[in-house]
Parts: sequence; C-alpha cells; structure tokens
Amino acid sequence: MIRVVTPGLHATLQDAGRTRHLRRGVPTAGPADRVAHAFANALVGNDPGEAAIEIAGLPFAFVAERALLVAVTGRDVRLAGRDRIAGWTCAFVRAGDELRIEGHSRYAYLAVRGGFDAPVVLGSRAAYPPASLGAPPLRAGAVVAVRPARVDASRGGLAVAAPRYGDVARIIVGPHDDRVDVASLLSSTFTVDERSDRMGVRLRGPAVAANDGELLSTGVVEGALQIPSGGAPIVLLADHQTTGGYPIAGTVIAVDLPLVAQREPDESLRFEATSERVAVAELQRVRRDVLALRASID
Amino acid sequence: MRAAPRIAPMGERALLVTFAERIDPVANGRARALADAWEARHLGPAIPAYASTLLHFDPLRVDGAGAAALARRLASRGPVRRAAGRLIEIPVRYDGPDLVDVARLSSLTVSELVALHADREYVAYFLGFMPGFAYLGELDARINAARLPEPRLRVPAGAVGVAGRQTAVYPFASPGGWRLIGSTDAILFDARRDPPALLREGDRVRFVRR
Repeated sequence: MIRVVTPGLHATLQDAGRTRHLRRGVPTAGPADRVAHAFANALVGNDPGEAAIEIAGLPFAFVAERALLVAVTGRDVRLAGRDRIAGWTCAFVRAGDELRIEGHSRYAYLAVRGGFDAPVVLGSRAAYPPASLGAPPLRAGAVVAVRPARVDASRGGLAVAAPRYGDVARIIVGPHDDRVDVASLLSSTFTVDERSDRMGVRLRGPAVAANDGELLSTGVVEGALQIPSGGAPIVLLADHQTTGGYPIAGTVIAVDLPLVAQREPDESLRFEATSERVAVAELQRVRRDVLALRASID
Repeated sequence: MRAAPRIAPMGERALLVTFAERIDPVANGRARALADAWEARHLGPAIPAYASTLLHFDPLRVDGAGAAALARRLASRGPVRRAAGRLIEIPVRYDGPDLVDVARLSSLTVSELVALHADREYVAYFLGFMPGFAYLGELDARINAARLPEPRLRVPAGAVGVAGRQTAVYPFASPGGWRLIGSTDAILFDARRDPPALLREGDRVRFVRR
C-alpha cells in the first residue's frame, strides 16, 4: 500500500470507467487522459484499464509502505525520491521511500504494479464524487491498498516516449453540423477557460453560431464538442453527463482527447476536421503500443 | 410504413440514431427497443433518450459502416410490444421555492397547480443528466414551466422540478435550471441497491401528495 503525504488539489482513483449504467444516468468517469492512464499501467505490467491515481494540481507526495514498481505519466511529469526519475518510466521503489510527483500536467497518473485496490462499485473502481461512487478523493494521510503482485526490481528503468501534447485537436464533424457554423469553428483559435473540469473543457474565443431551437436531449459521448447558445464551445470529458441537449458540432477523436484535457487555462486550442479512417488507425496504433509495452514487461 | 431513422456518427466510436425530433411515445419505444437489441449483441452500451438512441461500439471490433448497417437493421424490426411499465408512486411535499411563481405564471391557484401535477400518470421516457434522474412526461398543458433564466447553483437532493412539458426528481444535489415545486424523501439512486435507480425507462410514475 501507499500512504498519501500531499494529495495535490484533487486526487482520485480511476480505472477505465463505468460503462454498464449509462442508461441509468451514471457517467463513465475514468481518467481525463486515457492514453497517459493506459501507458502508466502498461509500464508496470498492468492491464491498461487497472485502477491508478489521477492527480489534478501537482505536486503529489506519498510513501511506499512496501517495495513497489511504479510509473508516473502526464503531460510533463517526473518522480523525485532518492533519485530523480523521468515520467513515462517504470521505477522500482523500496519500502519506506517517500516520493514526490512533480511537473506541469493538468492531470498526472500514478500506477503501481498490481493496481490500486478499492471496492468495485457498479462494476468499476472509478471515483465519481458527485454521486459518491467509488473511493472518495484522497486526503493527506489516506492509505491506498495495492493488489498483490510480483515486484521484480530488474523491471525498473523500462521507459516509453511520451506522446506530443499539441494544440490542435482533430474532430469528426457532426452530427449537428446543419445547426452549427462548423467553418468558423475550424478557422478560430480558442482559449481554455479556467472553469474547465473533469466534466468538460470550456473554451473562450469568437462565438460559434449555433441554432439550438427544438433540439431534444440525446445520449452524448466523451469528446463531443457542444455549442451552447452563447457560442462558447465545451468539449466533454470523463465525468460528462450521459445526455445533453446542445448542438454537437463534432467529436474530438479518442487519441486527441488527452491533449484537450491537458490544456491549461489560458492556453490556446484549435480544431481540425479528420476522417473516421484516420481516427480508427490512430486508435489502433495507440492500443497496439500499449499492449506491446505491457507484453515487454510481463 | 415507419420512417427510417437518421443515423450519424458521433466520433469514431458511437452512432446517434434519431427516430423523431419531438417527444413522442412511439419514437421513444423504438429508441428503447433499439438500445435493448444493441446491448443484447454485446457491441457496447446504448443510451436511449426521448426519440433517439446513442450506440457505442469498439471500432477495432466492428467498423463504422458495419455498425451503421446493423443499427439500421435492428431499428427497422417489427413493432415493439411491451408490457405496461411498473407503476411507481413517489410521495411529495408541495413546498418548493418556485411553487407560487409557477402557479402565478400558469394563472392557477397553488392548489390547482398541485392537483394538476399530482393527479396524473407520467411515463419515464429515459434517464440522464445524473444517476437515477428520469425525464417524466408530459405535464398538463395548463402548467407553464419555463426554465429559470439563471440556473440555481444548488438544487437539493429530492427536489421535484418542472421544465417545459417535463417533470423530474433530482437524485443528488446539483446546479439546475428547473423550477422547483416540491420535495420527496424517496431515494432515487443508491449504488448499494440492485437495481440502483428507483425508476427505469418505461415506468409509470405518480406523485402522491403528503
């Protein structure tokens, strides 16, 4: 197990998310940056959907209560202990070591070999605090259990290149492109609003014209780019509501959603149209890389 | 002959199937039947709403065109025969902060408004917005329930609200723009319960005055 010393602003346990109760209005939750979460797990030999700690607002400090294999991922992160270990690297840590996750990443991930343990609620260990689902946000002094697993010190050092977190997100246009000025959306540069959270990234910039008259609520997906009547787009993230009634100009493709989630307030963001074919090929590439990495440590 | 639904991608991992552009029990029945059929194929979760169904799928298992073709086929299946939904009674105290305003906007007395809201059977069209939140319809047309111009920052759990032709109970405290006319002690969602949500799609709901 680990003991939390400094929890950052908001640290929660997140597995891949809760998908079996969407019809009952239960959000998926899970990591805001699914790619960083999956790689953190793969680096320590876990299933990519295992429960890891998501930290918003670094630094996060903890004590390893036993020897562990750990990995830290995010936009710009590192692990400081006896040594300084780069992010996106598997590290062996000794029992009693105090470690600190530092850097600049809106969301950072800490995975341990075996995965963190917590009760499974409605089929998932993902925390969704608004409905008290899963473990509550971690506080200083909290102890988080680690599921039993073989810890082989020689695995420490395995590393993978971090993906590039750019400022252009590719979208698949639609389904409400007949109600939204998609051309202006694609030619504008937006700025991330500080009110962004795990429900969605709110953007400021030139208003995008949208007609939301008579639009009935429908199910919505993570990555959907909603245009409320004020014209300020919102990209839905992991904690988004299961249904929504705003026009959807397009949906950010799965592999680009991490860069959107990781943009800091006042940073810029642009959108570019792409095809389903590109989106699926990119998703396939990332999944293959995650599985290959995991296989290399097992 | 029923109109073919409109099928459009929502990203590379979901399709939105739209049966109608209005609140309609027949379209809602088709939306729920499609969600059931899709989930029975284990292709991914489905979310029915008033007149549409969102279908999730894994594009590395089935491509978008294949998913759309299957959705079209499942959506065109014969008429759906369903047993009438369960009747769920929810005790309500008509003590909401907007009760008097809604009565005034509707040119009704408070007791007339309460009678119109309570003496009626609603259908749970779908669940969304938050865990266990069921969209119930339709309100008596004499009730004028425009949304608040500024949403409240905090609506308490158990609040009974109205908006447009809809009514609902908030399972958890949250921001919200519906006008609040009452409150209930009923637990709308409890993760330790099976099923966790008190209401499910297709249920008939009646509010009982306390």
